[in-house]
Amino acid sequence: MMWLSGGFIFRSGNSRFHRLDPRVKLLISILTFATALIARYIYEIGLVVAFILVVAAAATVLTRIARTMALTATFSAFIFVVNFLFTRNLESSSLYAFRFVAIVVSTSLFFVTTTPDELERVMKMFRLPRDVVFAFVTAVRFVPVMMLDALQIMDAQKSRGLELDKGNILRRARNMIPILIPLVVNAVVRSGELAEAMESRAYGASERPTSLVEYRAKRVDKVVALAAVVVFLLAAYSFYSLLAPIAL
Amino acid sequence: MILEIDGLNFRYPDAPKKAVDSFSLQVPESEIVVLAGASGCGKSTLLRAINGLIPHMYAGDYSGDVRVGGSSVKASSMRELAQRVGFLFQNPENQIFMFTVERDIAFGLENLGVPRQEMRRRVDEAIGLLGIGSLAQRAPYELSDGQKQRVALAGVLAMRPKLIILDEPTSLLDPKTALDFVDLVANLRKDVGATFLIVEHRLDLLVKVADRMVVMSSGRKVLDGSPSEVLMGDEADGFGVSIPAVSRVQKLLAKDGLAGVDRLYDAEEVAAIRQRERR
Ligand SMILES: Nc1ncnc2c1ncn2[C@@H]1O[C@H](COP(=O)(O)OP(=O)(O)OP(=O)(O)O)[C@@H](O)[C@H]1O
Ligand SMILES: [Mg+2]
Repeated sequence: MMWLSGGFIFRSGNSRFHRLDPRVKLLISILTFATALIARYIYEIGLVVAFILVVAAAATVLTRIARTMALTATFSAFIFVVNFLFTRNLESSSLYAFRFVAIVVSTSLFFVTTTPDELERVMKMFRLPRDVVFAFVTAVRFVPVMMLDALQIMDAQKSRGLELDKGNILRRARNMIPILIPLVVNAVVRSGELAEAMESRAYGASERPTSLVEYRAKRVDKVVALAAVVVFLLAAYSFYSLLAPIAL
Repeated sequence: MILEIDGLNFRYPDAPKKAVDSFSLQVPESEIVVLAGASGCGKSTLLRAINGLIPHMYAGDYSGDVRVGGSSVKASSMRELAQRVGFLFQNPENQIFMFTVERDIAFGLENLGVPRQEMRRRVDEAIGLLGIGSLAQRAPYELSDGQKQRVALAGVLAMRPKLIILDEPTSLLDPKTALDFVDLVANLRKDVGATFLIVEHRLDLLVKVADRMVVMSSGRKVLDGSPSEVLMGDEADGFGVSIPAVSRVQKLLAKDGLAGVDRLYDAEEVAAIRQRERR
């Protein structure tokens, strides 16, 4: 949970990178992801990670990205061990392990610097169905609300003598039932109320809903997007033709 | 008449008895009407029937007629109704959908396909009316309950409804915030000329601004009159309505032959009259 909330949930920031068009941020994230996939040597992955860290530093989210990286290391070590057991190949095993880190970190960079609001607009711009976008919005919107619900229910049940962290795993799992049932009931009630409120505010009334905020790429967005593509092409080219033989 | 209800009956599917029973009510424009009654007497159900959730979203046995601004609720679409009747639900949390206040206020207008400039104007107007300019860019989880209530109401106002119905709007608010909210409603009536139908248990807060008070019991309308008529009468007590302490005192003093029962006084006024009588 800590891992998730640290690396993938937006917290407000106001760097130049934050202010980029979300599509450009998504592009950068996808391109670094792709670069990590096509990299064939550890030092190439190292370059990708270094690049992400530089961008993260510019976006003032270096500590959060670094923490994501540290927390990913456990999974990464697991990947290494499993791979090594099967392949007995030190080099490819460590490549997979490092690649995993690079992929997680590049994804994390996007989510950490993109508001849910922007995320919603990106989804709309890709013309996803309105219901899908709205379902996503509601899910994200109510995560903190439901977390609070869960905490309150836990407190209430604890005060009635429920002991959450006693006994073996089976016992503990069973202890979660008095938490889960009210939580689910709450969620069902809530979704009913949401449906009423949506209807009352004309959800789905128009074939072509409009949007309060206009979204237009500025010049800086276009320049950065272009630069990102150029860097990606250069990286891809060099990985496969220039640097690779030297490294051999 | 902005709202006309003629002999409305509604029974939820599989319910043993009607939630609303032969209910009639006429509300002229710009009135503030308070609807009171014991828990489960059908207040929320009546509100649903006014904004069209009944019968458009809820199935059930429906008879009688509800008209808002002259047109039948049953025959209107939810799209039309959403613009005619604004519904502020009890829990503001569950009617704020978007990640910023400003965009949430625009939610209904976006759904209607209102052009951007017009939408901007209406959102800013609603923000101005409720004095929440400083909250415009906040996320819902950064708001207090009172602020959420205002944001939800702004989202309703942005649709410019003629009739606004509120379901226990102060139940989650502390006394001071609740009082501010009531003042806000009174000001809104002045500023936008909307009609308000408010379901409320805390009558002491509302007697000052209400023009009229309606009491329901088991789905039926049992009392209908000015706040003083209802609260100073002998029947309200029996229908589970909480009579404000001041009104009780005033009623007792009236029996003693003190002031008239023509209107309700607040605590200071009652004290002042009592003083005068003493001398
Ligand atoms: N969705 C529903 N389905 C079936 N029955 C319902 C539903 N909502 C309410 N009822 C029933 O209809 C009756 C009236 O309920 P309603 O919610 O309108 O009362 P209320 O006056 O608003 O009560 P409260 O003051 O507790 O909010 C109650 O008997 C209730 O159990
Ligand atoms: Mg109710």
